[in-house]
Amino acid sequence: MSNLLTERTEPVASAAQRDGLLVRIIRISGWLSIWLGLFLLGFVAHQLVLTTFLAQQNNTVLQAEAEVYFAEVTVNEVPYAPPGAPELTDPDDVPLPPAVLLVEEPPQPGEAFAIIRIPSLDRLKNGWTVVEGVSRSNLKNGVGHMPSTPLPGQPGNSVMSGHRTTFGAPFHEFDELQPGDIIEVETAIGIHIYEVRETIIVRPTEFWVTGPRDGAWLTLTTCHPKFSARQRLVIFAELVGGPNAAVISG
Amino acid sequence: MIRRMFNALPGPTPVRVVLAVIITVVAFVALMFLYDWMGSNLLDSGGAFS
Repeated sequence: MSNLLTERTEPVASAAQRDGLLVRIIRISGWLSIWLGLFLLGFVAHQLVLTTFLAQQNNTVLQAEAEVYFAEVTVNEVPYAPPGAPELTDPDDVPLPPAVLLVEEPPQPGEAFAIIRIPSLDRLKNGWTVVEGVSRSNLKNGVGHMPSTPLPGQPGNSVMSGHRTTFGAPFHEFDELQPGDIIEVETAIGIHIYEVRETIIVRPTEFWVTGPRDGAWLTLTTCHPKFSARQRLVIFAELVGGPNAAVISG
Repeated sequence: MIRRMFNALPGPTPVRVVLAVIITVVAFVALMFLYDWMGSNLLDSGGAFS
């Protein structure tokens, strides 16, 4: 009799054990899903809301700092001969007075020294402050200037980088830029006007885009595609107007 | 679960409250650093070549 009872109760007990295990697994995975969901929700809120709020707050303060910088920075006049200018071969030729380039003192790392405006883009038509440096902390303000490259409005290739989806996303709409669109960069010297010439997509390791160029160029770089740091969207724009444009183009 | 974790903290209730606040603040700061790191490496690095 007792043997019969044992035989009957064993399968029931193991089934209950199995059900208990299943319930526990479902409960644990349910909790994990809830916590993972909260973690991801927090991540999205942090990236899209908090960083943008902080960058916009910073930008307001930095815009005021840039105005002070414009008023205080020293601007020098430097003689400039564009490369490729004709040399005097005839001794009777009267040398022309050297053209004068306006050059400002380089800003300190992290200092707000320029304002970029792109009238054709909603996010940038009212301007965004540019700080010196492209470190992670510099770019938390939105747009940074690569220190090893010339300042905007100077001969060569001035490079600026900015966030596409976070920290205010000042370069969010860069895929909408077309050749011929105007980019204005205000510095202590004045407003430099660039015209978009080319848009390309490259890998983050293709450093050649930041290399020197003849004339005066502005290279703007940002992440591509949106919500990914896999590639870089690069805008090349040429200086067409402003205090130094005529001097540089010769 | 949170109540169980709170009860697992050592000491009397006021000490547990202080410990809970410290742990929450440290966890929050660590979470912000983690979000920052994830955002910079996965979502949007700022587009710089450096």
